[in-house]
Amino acid sequence: MPVSRLLKTLVLFLCLGTVAVAAGRSPAQIDQIQKDISNKVYCTCGCATTLARCPDPHCPVKAEMDKIIRTDLEQGKTEQAVLQDLVDHYGEKVLAAPPPKGFNLTAWILPSVGLLIGLFLAILVVRRWRRPALQAAGPASSATPPVDDNVRSAVEEEMKKFMD
Amino acid sequence: MNQVGAVGLIAALAFAFYGMVTGAVAGKLRSPRMLKSAQRAVLGFFAMTTLAVVSLEYLVLTDNFHSAYVAEHSSRALPLLYKFPVLWSGQEGSLLFWTWLLSIYVGVAVLLNRRKNRQLMPYVIAISLGVGTFFSLVTFWVANPFNQLSLATATGTTPYAPPDGNGLNPALQFHSMVAHPPMLYLGYVGFAIPFAFAMSALMTRQLGDNWIRVTRRWTMVPWMLLGTGIVLGGQWAYHVLGWGGYWAWDPVENASLLPWLAGTAFLHSVMIQEKRGMLKVWNMVLIILTFFLSIFGTFLTRSGIISSVHAFAKSDIGPWFSVFLAIIAAFSLTVLFLRLDFLKSDNRLDSIVSRESGFLFNNWILLAAVLAVLWGTIFPIVSKAVENVTVTVGPPFFNKVMIPIGLLLLFLTGAGPLLAWRKTSFQSIKRNFTVPLVFGGVAGIFLFFFVGVHGFYTLMSLSLCAFVAASIVGEFYKGARTRMKTSKEHFFPAVYNLTMRNTRRYGGYIVHFGIVLLFVGVAGQAFRFETQKLMGPGDLLQARNYLFRFEGMTTGQKANYEYETVSLAVTKNGHAWTVMHPQKRFFIASQQPLSHVALRSNLAEDVYVVMAGRDPNTGKAIIHVIINPLVQWVWIGGMVVLLGTILALIPSRVEREMAQIHKNQEEAVEAHHAS
Repeated sequence: MPVSRLLKTLVLFLCLGTVAVAAGRSPAQIDQIQKDISNKVYCTCGCATTLARCPDPHCPVKAEMDKIIRTDLEQGKTEQAVLQDLVDHYGEKVLAAPPPKGFNLTAWILPSVGLLIGLFLAILVVRRWRRPALQAAGPASSATPPVDDNVRSAVEEEMKKFMD
Repeated sequence: MNQVGAVGLIAALAFAFYGMVTGAVAGKLRSPRMLKSAQRAVLGFFAMTTLAVVSLEYLVLTDNFHSAYVAEHSSRALPLLYKFPVLWSGQEGSLLFWTWLLSIYVGVAVLLNRRKNRQLMPYVIAISLGVGTFFSLVTFWVANPFNQLSLATATGTTPYAPPDGNGLNPALQFHSMVAHPPMLYLGYVGFAIPFAFAMSALMTRQLGDNWIRVTRRWTMVPWMLLGTGIVLGGQWAYHVLGWGGYWAWDPVENASLLPWLAGTAFLHSVMIQEKRGMLKVWNMVLIILTFFLSIFGTFLTRSGIISSVHAFAKSDIGPWFSVFLAIIAAFSLTVLFLRLDFLKSDNRLDSIVSRESGFLFNNWILLAAVLAVLWGTIFPIVSKAVENVTVTVGPPFFNKVMIPIGLLLLFLTGAGPLLAWRKTSFQSIKRNFTVPLVFGGVAGIFLFFFVGVHGFYTLMSLSLCAFVAASIVGEFYKGARTRMKTSKEHFFPAVYNLTMRNTRRYGGYIVHFGIVLLFVGVAGQAFRFETQKLMGPGDLLQARNYLFRFEGMTTGQKANYEYETVSLAVTKNGHAWTVMHPQKRFFIASQQPLSHVALRSNLAEDVYVVMAGRDPNTGKAIIHVIINPLVQWVWIGGMVVLLGTILALIPSRVEREMAQIHKNQEEAVEAHHAS
C-alpha cells in the first residue's frame, strides 16, 4: 500500500473515530461544551457581550447561534469545528478573542513583548543607578573591615523605620 | 430655564478661557493682580457651570419635554431618586457634569492654596482652566444639553414638547447607579489637578519636594474615587445585568481601569522621589500618562468608536477629543523635555535588593498591565485600520493575558514592603520572608489537598493572598511589638498609635490588604456553578446543595414598569432556607425589559437567581441559578481599599507638626514682606 494511501486511511480513521467519540457525548457533556463555546463567542445582536451573557432571553440571534452550536455538537463536531462554523456564518468578529494568526498575533504577542522590554529597561535602569554607586565605593570600601551581620540587620531595621 | 442654562454654559466657557489666559500671564509676569483675577475667574467658572447644572436638573425635575435632553432621557413616571442621574445618563449631560466637577476641583485647589504654592498656582489655574475651556467648548458647541425640540412648519419652526419622555435607560435605574458615575467622573476629572501641578512645577522650575508632596495628595483623592467608582460599577453590573459577574473586560470598564493602574504606579514611584530623590522624570511621565488616560477613557466611553455593553451612541465628539489628546501629549512632553536638566536624580541605587528596586519592578508590572489592557481595548480599531477586518477582543483574551500579570503584581504587593530602603541583606530577606512564605506555602498545600483547589491560577492566587496577608500582619505585629517594648503600651493601643504615627505607611498596608481580599473574591469565580431550567408550578431545580421549588408567579404594575415575580421556596441541605423572588420588569416609557435579580449573600457564597423570561410555547419561567462563591469579598476588599486610602490621606502626627513649622515659616516670610 502506497504511503499516501496509508496516510489517507489513517486520517479517515482518525476523523471517523473523532466523530464516533464526539457523537457518543452525553447531553450533559454537550451542555458543558456548549457553555464553553458560548463564553468564547460574542452574540452578534449588538449587545456587545459574549453569547453566554446576552441579556435578552428572547434574542433571535442568540437563539440562532445556540441552535448552530447545538446541532454541530450533536453531529459530533469538535469545539474547533463549531467555532469555525460560527466564523463562517458571522465572520471573525464573532470570536471573543482574535485567533492567533496573521496580524492578530500582535494582539497576543505585544503584551508579552512589552513585559519583556519593560523588564529589560528596569534591569538597565537598576544597573545604571548601581554602577556609579559601586565606582564611588571604590577600593576604599574594600579596605573597610566586614560588618557583623547582626549589626547590619539592626542598622537596616533602624534605617527602615527611619526612612518609612 | 433652557436659556438660563445655555447662558450659564457660554459664561462658563468665557470664564474658563479668561482664567486660562490670565493664569498664564500671571505666571509669566509673576503678577499678584493677574493671579487674583485668575482666581476670580475660577469662582466665575464654578458659579456658571453650577448654574447650568441646576438649570438642567430643574428641567428634568419639572418634566420640561421642550428640552431635547429631558425628552430623550427622562419621563414623568421616573421616580425622583432616578431623576438626578438623568444629568449624567446622556452624552450632553455627562459632559456638562464633567465640566462642573472640574470647576469644583479647581475651586477647591484655589481655596486650599490661597496662601500656599504662590509660584505654582498661576499655571495650575491656567492649565486646569485650559482643560475647562475644552470641556465647556465641546459641551456648548457639539453636545449642548440645552437644545430645544421644535417642529418644522410652513412658516418656519415652532417649539414642540412630546407628552412624555423616552425615560431613563432601565439598566440605570438602580441605586448604585446614583453613585457609580459621579465617583468615576470624580476620579477621571480629578487627575487634571495633579497634572496641572506637575506641569506648573515644570514651567516654574519649582521641582523640589513641594510639588511632589502636593501632587501625591491630589492624586490619591481621584485614585480613591475612581477605584470606588469601579467597584460600584462592578456591583451595578452584578445586580443588574443578570449574568452573575462584575467585570467583563468591556472597553468602557477597561477605560476606567487604565488611569487607575497608571495612578497606582505613580503613587508608588513617587515615594522613591520623596525618600531618595530618584525617578523624577519617570514620575512626570506617569502623571502625564495618568491624566492622558483619564481623558482617553472619557473619549473612549463617549465617542462610541468601540462597541460596548454600555451602548453609548456614536457622536461627533471623537475628532475634538483626538485633537485635545494630541495637544495634551505635545504640550506636556515638550515642557518635560525642556526641563530634563532639572530632573536629575539626587541619589544612586545602593543595592539591587532594595525597596527602590521593588518599587521599580512594581512600576514595570503596572505599566505592563496598562499596555496589555490598552492594546487589547484598541486592537479592534487597529485591526480595522490595518487589515480592514473587524475583530473582537473580549474576556478570553484579557483573562489569558492579565491573570499572570495580576499574580506577579500580587506577589510584589507582599514582597515590596519586606525589603528595606537602600539595601537588604540576605539575613534580612531570610528573616522577613520566612514566615509569609511558609504561610503562603502551607495555605497552598492545605487548599490543594484538603479543599480540592487544583486550578493552577486559583491555587497560586490564594497562596499568594496568604503570603501577602501574612507579610502585612507581620509588619503591623513587628511595629506594635517595638512600641510595646519602648512605650510600654498594650498591643491594640500600640497598633493604633503606630498606625496614626505613620498613617501613610499603615494606610498603604490596609490598601494592600483590601487588594488581597479582592483577589480572594476574584479567585472564587473558579468555583462558580450555574444552571438553568424552565419552571412551572411545583417544578424543582437542584443547584449544588440548594433545591428550588416553584411556588407561583404574580404580575403587577408600578409607576414606570410592569412586572412578573416568581416565588421560589429554597431548601439548603434538605432544610427549609428561604423564599426568593426573582423579577422580570418591563419599563413602559422605554419599552425595555430588565431582570431584577434575587440574591442571598453570605461571606462564603452568593445564591443568585434570575428570571430570564418566559418560554413562549409553554409559558413557563426561565429560571437561571448561579452559586457564586466568595463574591462578597470583592465588595469588602473594595471597602477596605477605600478605608485604607482615607487613612493614608489623614496627615500623621509627624506630618502635622511639620506642616505647622512650614506654616509658621511662611507667616514669618509674609510678615517680613509686609513690613
